[in-house]
Amino acid sequence: MVQAIDLTKEYNGVTVLNLPDLRIGAGESFGLVGNNGAGKTTFFRLILDLIAATTGEVLINGQKVARNDNWKQITGSFLDEGFLIDFLTPEEYFNFVAKLHHITESDLNAFLASIEDIFNGEILGNKKLIREFSKGNQKKIGIAAALIGDPQLLILDEPFTALDPSSQIRLKRFLEELQKRTNMTMLISSHDLNHVTDVCKRIVILEKGKIVNDLQTNTDTLKELESYFAVS
Amino acid sequence: MLLLDLLKQDGKKAIRSQAFYKNLAVNIMLGFFGLYMAASLLITGLALGPMLEKVPGPYNPTELVNASMLYVILFALIARFTMQSLSTLDLQSLQALPIRRDTLVNYLLIKPLFNPVNYLTLLLAIPFAIRSTAVYYDGATAFRFVLGAIFIIWFDSLTAAFLKRAFGSNIFSLIILLAIAGGLIALEYFKLFSLGEVSEAIFTTALQHPLGWLVPLAAVGFAYLLNRWFFARNYYIESFNKKKEEIRLTQLSFLDRFGIIGDLIGLEIKLILRHKRTKSILYLSFFFLFYGLLFYRDPKMATNYGMLFFAATFVTGLLMLMFGQWVISWDGSYFDSLMTKNIPVQSYIEANYYLLASFCTACFILTTPYFFFGSRILYLHLAALLFNLGVNIFFLVFFATYNTKRIDLSKSSAMNYQGTTIKNFLIMLPMLFFPWIVVQLLATFFNPAVALGTVGSIGLLGILFHRQLIQLCVNQFNRRKYALAQGFRESE
Repeated sequence: MVQAIDLTKEYNGVTVLNLPDLRIGAGESFGLVGNNGAGKTTFFRLILDLIAATTGEVLINGQKVARNDNWKQITGSFLDEGFLIDFLTPEEYFNFVAKLHHITESDLNAFLASIEDIFNGEILGNKKLIREFSKGNQKKIGIAAALIGDPQLLILDEPFTALDPSSQIRLKRFLEELQKRTNMTMLISSHDLNHVTDVCKRIVILEKGKIVNDLQTNTDTLKELESYFAVS
Repeated sequence: MLLLDLLKQDGKKAIRSQAFYKNLAVNIMLGFFGLYMAASLLITGLALGPMLEKVPGPYNPTELVNASMLYVILFALIARFTMQSLSTLDLQSLQALPIRRDTLVNYLLIKPLFNPVNYLTLLLAIPFAIRSTAVYYDGATAFRFVLGAIFIIWFDSLTAAFLKRAFGSNIFSLIILLAIAGGLIALEYFKLFSLGEVSEAIFTTALQHPLGWLVPLAAVGFAYLLNRWFFARNYYIESFNKKKEEIRLTQLSFLDRFGIIGDLIGLEIKLILRHKRTKSILYLSFFFLFYGLLFYRDPKMATNYGMLFFAATFVTGLLMLMFGQWVISWDGSYFDSLMTKNIPVQSYIEANYYLLASFCTACFILTTPYFFFGSRILYLHLAALLFNLGVNIFFLVFFATYNTKRIDLSKSSAMNYQGTTIKNFLIMLPMLFFPWIVVQLLATFFNPAVALGTVGSIGLLGILFHRQLIQLCVNQFNRRKYALAQGFRESE
């Protein structure tokens, strides 16, 4: 599904990401962990063609992402507030995205009903602009918008931060269930080792732009991760 | 005194602001513009007395100025109403400190009076007072004239702030103000009621009396009390710092039939309607529509086709020029969204093209009343419309990709130059001056018809080849995309 070939990114001569060959298969749930500055967001931005790679390339379904619009049809993403159009109401924003994917209003409403559990009644029907919502609710709006159009590939950067504990658990369940049902490829970065091991079947640890560990999740994974990140 | 401390802090804030130095080139440009304005006012001030001498009738120049005073006050009020931004407090940092509410309110009210821009009109008033009032009356009267001018500035500033706070800066308040002004002019014109005579009577009497300056001062006091009354009514400090945004949900369903391009245009229209800064540009544009009056009615311009075409390009391309200079950067705050959602780059560029094209068409329609000045204007405007649609739009969209500064639309309104770089000016220059020169040359060496025919044809060619030109812009955008995304991600 996603392939990074000889992918490097340098800023002012410092290599911040170096992935000689990373393949993420279709239907895989892929977790990316690492401390600040490990290159997680850089990797996601490269996949989404928001920054230019220094060398190498990213392919989605075998096609280069650079100068290509095709991957946008099957990719849903939310990295930060830059992915929201903050002077719209959530409804207007969802409608806008739905139209881009040629989704009918009734299908959109059905989708919004399915995610209402996460919205917790705070998002829809408030006549508020997105910029007036709290950070946590903005994140929910962004994640929901990323899911419109049944993407085959979903990319979320730190989806759990800024959410309240109950929302975190609800979101985790929602993503797990969605992944099972639709066999969507999911790329998630997180600082929360607990959640990410719950949701993802494969976990990659990045350190200073390099993969230092590539694990299939099992009962010991959480311990392994905790020991890796433990401060001695 | 605490109030002084607060004002000092404000000065420091301005000088130490990062943006001030980052954008030095623009500030220097604005500085020159300010100097130019100051010089114009000074020269007008020096020339005003002798000019008014020539006006027939029993009035001396000072009396004539007094007669227009109420109009000046009214129009300055309207100008301020549209352009003056309300002073706000950096509340969070002050709220925790033991400062009385009274002090804060006074600070809010008095701060704008320290803005030197307010006093530019004195450059007109002082030379006039010295050259004319002092001659007809005496030095003391001239001094009172200048004093009165200062009080009038204060009065306008305070009243405009009150009106803005109390009624909001929406278009309806502006229309009401304009209607009042228009009504008064009509009454004067049809000789039903002369505000000029009232104005002359009040101000000349006040001017001659040694204590006459108390009249404008009383007006200032009244305006100040109005403001205090407003704050007393709206007690909670939150409610005057941040007005609850009321959103009127705009239904733009007619755009649905145009697919993605229609959706994107709808988005831009909402952007314009839901941000202060863009809204005030919209209102300001309305005033600039009258810019043509300066040119088309002037007999000296009658044969100056280059200049006339410049005016025509300007008024028919007004909205395009005003909004087009930020055509990509105003999407800065959600650029990542546009780039990753299912929007082909081609559609994005086309949407921008059609948006600007509809702006041009709208301005062309709005300026049709100018055709009353003769069929010449019709040809001028048609040629200008074609040139704007076929050349200038592509120019804007192409070079907009070099403007990587994110525009913070949430902040402030008119006279806000955040996100403006020297590039904005550089882009505008060839757009307005290139056709000026071409038309001027062709009109001089051949005739006006050839000149207008040529620029019109160039524009028509651009429209015919719009697909190719859009493709050119798409390629350019793709080249610049990463630089744009990077630039927009950095906040100031």
